[in-house]
Amino acid sequence: MAGHAGILINSKSILLQKTFRCSTMESHILGQQLVNGLALGSIYGLIAVGYTMVYGIIGMINFAHGDIYMVAAYITAICIAVLSFFGINTVAIVLLITLAVTIFIIALYGWSIERVAYKPLRNSTRLAPLISAIGVSLILQNYVQVSQGARTQAVPTMIQGAFRFGSETDFFQITYIQTLLVVVSFLSMGILTWIIQKTSLGRQCRAVQQDRKMASLLGINTDRIISTVFIMGSSMAAVAGVLVTLNYGSFDFYIGFVTGIKAFTAAVLGGIGSLPGAMLGGIILGMSESLFSGLVNTDYKDVFAFSLLVLVLIFRPSGLLGKPAVEKV
Amino acid sequence: MLGTAHDNPKVAALKEALLSAAITFLVMAPISGIVLKGYAFEADFTVPVYAALIVFVLRLAILLLEQNETGRKILVRLSPSKGGGVTVAKPGGVPWLRFILPLLFIAGLVLPFFLGKYWLTVVILAMIYVLLGLGLNIVVGLAGLLDLGFVAFYAVGAYMFALGSQYWGLGFWTALPLAAATAALFGGMLGFPVLRMHGDYLAIVTLGFGEIIRLVLNNWTSFTGGPNGVSAPNPTLFNLEFSRSAKIEGNIPFHEFFGIPYDSSLKYLFIYMVLFLVVCAMIYFVNRLRLMPMGRAWEALREDEIACRSMGINHVTVKLSAFMMGAMTGGIGGVFFAAYQGFVNPSSFTFFESALILAIVVLGGMGSVVGVIIAALVLTILPEALRDFADYRVLIFGILMVVMMIWKPRGLIRIHRPYFRVKGGKA
Amino acid sequence: MIMKKLWKMAPVATLLVGMMAAPLTQAEDVVKIGVAGPHTGAYAAFGEQLWKGAEAAANDINEAGGIDGKKIELVKADDACEPKQAVSVANRLVDNDKVVAVVGHFCSSSTMPASEIYDEANIIDITPASTNPQVTERGLKTIMRTCGRDDQQGNVAGDYIVNQLKAKKVAVIHDKDTYGQGLADATKARMNELGLEEVLYEGLTRGEKDFNALVTKIKSVDADVVYFGGLHSEAGPLVRQLREQGSKATFISGDGIVSEDFVVAAGGGEFVDGVLSTFGRDPRTIPEGKAVVDKFKAAGYEPEGYTLYSYAAMQAIADAIKGSGSTDGDKLTAWLESNGADTVMGKKEWDEKGDLKVSDYVMYRWDKDGKYTMIEE
Repeated sequence: MAGHAGILINSKSILLQKTFRCSTMESHILGQQLVNGLALGSIYGLIAVGYTMVYGIIGMINFAHGDIYMVAAYITAICIAVLSFFGINTVAIVLLITLAVTIFIIALYGWSIERVAYKPLRNSTRLAPLISAIGVSLILQNYVQVSQGARTQAVPTMIQGAFRFGSETDFFQITYIQTLLVVVSFLSMGILTWIIQKTSLGRQCRAVQQDRKMASLLGINTDRIISTVFIMGSSMAAVAGVLVTLNYGSFDFYIGFVTGIKAFTAAVLGGIGSLPGAMLGGIILGMSESLFSGLVNTDYKDVFAFSLLVLVLIFRPSGLLGKPAVEKV
Repeated sequence: MLGTAHDNPKVAALKEALLSAAITFLVMAPISGIVLKGYAFEADFTVPVYAALIVFVLRLAILLLEQNETGRKILVRLSPSKGGGVTVAKPGGVPWLRFILPLLFIAGLVLPFFLGKYWLTVVILAMIYVLLGLGLNIVVGLAGLLDLGFVAFYAVGAYMFALGSQYWGLGFWTALPLAAATAALFGGMLGFPVLRMHGDYLAIVTLGFGEIIRLVLNNWTSFTGGPNGVSAPNPTLFNLEFSRSAKIEGNIPFHEFFGIPYDSSLKYLFIYMVLFLVVCAMIYFVNRLRLMPMGRAWEALREDEIACRSMGINHVTVKLSAFMMGAMTGGIGGVFFAAYQGFVNPSSFTFFESALILAIVVLGGMGSVVGVIIAALVLTILPEALRDFADYRVLIFGILMVVMMIWKPRGLIRIHRPYFRVKGGKA
Repeated sequence: MIMKKLWKMAPVATLLVGMMAAPLTQAEDVVKIGVAGPHTGAYAAFGEQLWKGAEAAANDINEAGGIDGKKIELVKADDACEPKQAVSVANRLVDNDKVVAVVGHFCSSSTMPASEIYDEANIIDITPASTNPQVTERGLKTIMRTCGRDDQQGNVAGDYIVNQLKAKKVAVIHDKDTYGQGLADATKARMNELGLEEVLYEGLTRGEKDFNALVTKIKSVDADVVYFGGLHSEAGPLVRQLREQGSKATFISGDGIVSEDFVVAAGGGEFVDGVLSTFGRDPRTIPEGKAVVDKFKAAGYEPEGYTLYSYAAMQAIADAIKGSGSTDGDKLTAWLESNGADTVMGKKEWDEKGDLKVSDYVMYRWDKDGKYTMIEE
């Protein structure tokens, strides 16, 4: 398995050497960069799902989504602190309880935000909920700052260690927590796709997405479906919040903003409204940031990421996996 | 149990209120109640408990009011306005407007003399946002193109003035048209490839463009000074500089020339006056444009692109003209900003700034000039007025933003389509 | 119809007009001093340090009888580290609150435009945290600082890297911000002067947490020293990811990381073990300083980062007002430049630009318990 991956990476590295001005890019370094990109991309993907689902169903860019992820990071730390106060320290149990609690609370956040700030604007202009979302984003950021203080917060390191490939000195590695991150991302993406494609709830979601009025005429409670979508999107942000907090160890009230914009970019890159697209967009964005940073220059990696987005959209105006917009005649 | 709830609406109301309170408590308890201290925490649930109580009382009151006739009437009065659509203005315009407008104009001109320096600077900032709002209004409000990177043009204008004076010795008055032209050029550059995109894809590309401009300004240290920024010169009037001592050779400070004591308000006063005139000119310009074929084409394109194209309107030129016109206004705004602040750096041109300008347009009522002006004044003066709330300032600002949006989902001012009649013929 | 609409707007208008016209009563028996810094936005943690320091100093001075019997009254001003807001609050402090002195701002990019306004109003402004050389290089009379300059700090770091660590391959990383990049550039300049070229010079983005790609790059150039110009919020994850990827390069940074939060951000003491940082002389080694530090700790607050610099700035202002018997900005700065001030961080003396005459930057080493100690030369 590892050998096979090595060959793949080698052939890629030859290609890349020709394209970029980098002279010596050893395969273990490139492998490490690919792992970095994959881990980062999974995070973007998980958060991008929330943007893409909400956009798909009500055509609105939920700018508060990044901040929901930030709140999830805080809930994670609070949960771990409370559990350790009660003397629960077994990693697996702590992880499971934290995940459950965070998902529950963040789902409540998603639900109540939709109920309070977006639902009254359901039948108004397209941009009204967008502005409301910007307001919500400000509220969440400052609410957390006022309540929890502006200082960096952290969780204790719970999972350490890594799988290493290669020789003693020239190796690349993927840490256990990064592995968990990637696996959980793909797993939850799979589950979500399954829900949307195969279950009756998913069918209702898709119906509402295509034509809300028609769906409600056919007896679908559209308000409930929209709420459910917010709950699902927020749950994914909660999963991301837990895993990312465990991965990086620290967070502050401002992390939602940067990550939010990136995740949104990923969602659009993959084709907004498409679930696999969100994941694909996330991975591509993560990879391109990591490779550009490693091979060319870290200063301009975001410029590169956004330029990539612009280029992709010029040639594929609906993103990589998005359905092209139907022009009505 | 369900049965009793159905039988008695008051009990049902009580239940729902309790549920709301419970949710409020659950949402607020972890963040407000359990404050992290390193890996440990301190618990104090006063805030969430009070919040839950308040929500309980309010929700119960609303639900009970809904159950009787007078209560419903009160709620209807308080509820947000629902009416949609666009109305057409009455022919001949509003008769008393011709008296009000000159009065407002004069009031605007004398206003700065009654303000202290602090409020003068706030009003200048508000006017800059009025200008930006007017510019974005052309793009978003009139032409219906969602632009989330408007700040890029604002940055281009500001940097044009600051860098222009540093490298080529441009003055305020030369920079003004140059910045407008450069920003329009950037608008065209961005607009050309992306205008075939639809709605929100356009939005994200403009967002990306705004970020690219900011990142380049931040990273290109040798040219732009990077995060350290560049200082912008003081504005001049016929080579009379508004500063304590002339910083550019050959200029004389304004106060020395007239033999008056130095007062830093003079510079702000001057900026305000020029800015006020530019804004007035811009308002006039936009109002005229709306009556002209170009402006009507914008609005028509916003309503139905396919119909427009089949009527023979070149959608690319029309969109591009809106984009460039908006960008130009943004560029002019940037020059004033740089002159006002005397210093520019990339941290003034973040995505949040774009969002704020967009909020001005949407809150103003998408396409309404008066609405944009009011919204710009509200959204810039509000955070300053809220300074007494110290740390809660931005929190309250966010809450007010959401409340205003819910209260007036279609903006503060309803748009009136201008009325016009083809002269001598049949419409 | 339109009248009705205008009527609806009336309350908003009255509110705004009311707020604009609100007269500010000014009592004669207080000395108003503004404390400006970021209290919202990404840098809010530092605004808190500035405020806590100034507040404690003001309380202590008031308890000791105030300035010639007058109590100090502080005015908190939030600039969110945006130049635009800095200009606004500066004008507000000058014009509405009529302060006689200002402690602040935090970000150099805020201090620069704001200090122009203080200078025009002839109000003394002492910044406890803006280390960018440009702050005092613009010919303004009333700006001073209680912190060092990036070039002073960079010299110490550059010397140490070349002479003590005898580094071969140095990666210089900064956070693309006024402070971080300024510091990194100063260190880089000193290193180059001593004949050592860096092998990598790159900037990361503030607010991000994933620097794995950069870390891999640092590893790929085999750097034995990593110099980081920036704040603890990025330094923490950076050093953690460096260690996680198995790099053993020595990590050096400046005063921006010196905070308990650095250990928190890195995820524990084991990651910061062996990290070096330049910082002012430890106030705990000065008798007055120790008392103040103990008092902070008794109140449950760790006086870290810029807290004591802010405390010192407030002391200097109080001393100058007492000493010169005036609140005139020019006279206060002139007095401080000729007399200096005894502060919690020791005796401070300033040159005519408003910079400290003696830069007391020294190197600290962090241990695995997350504590830092001065390295004896």
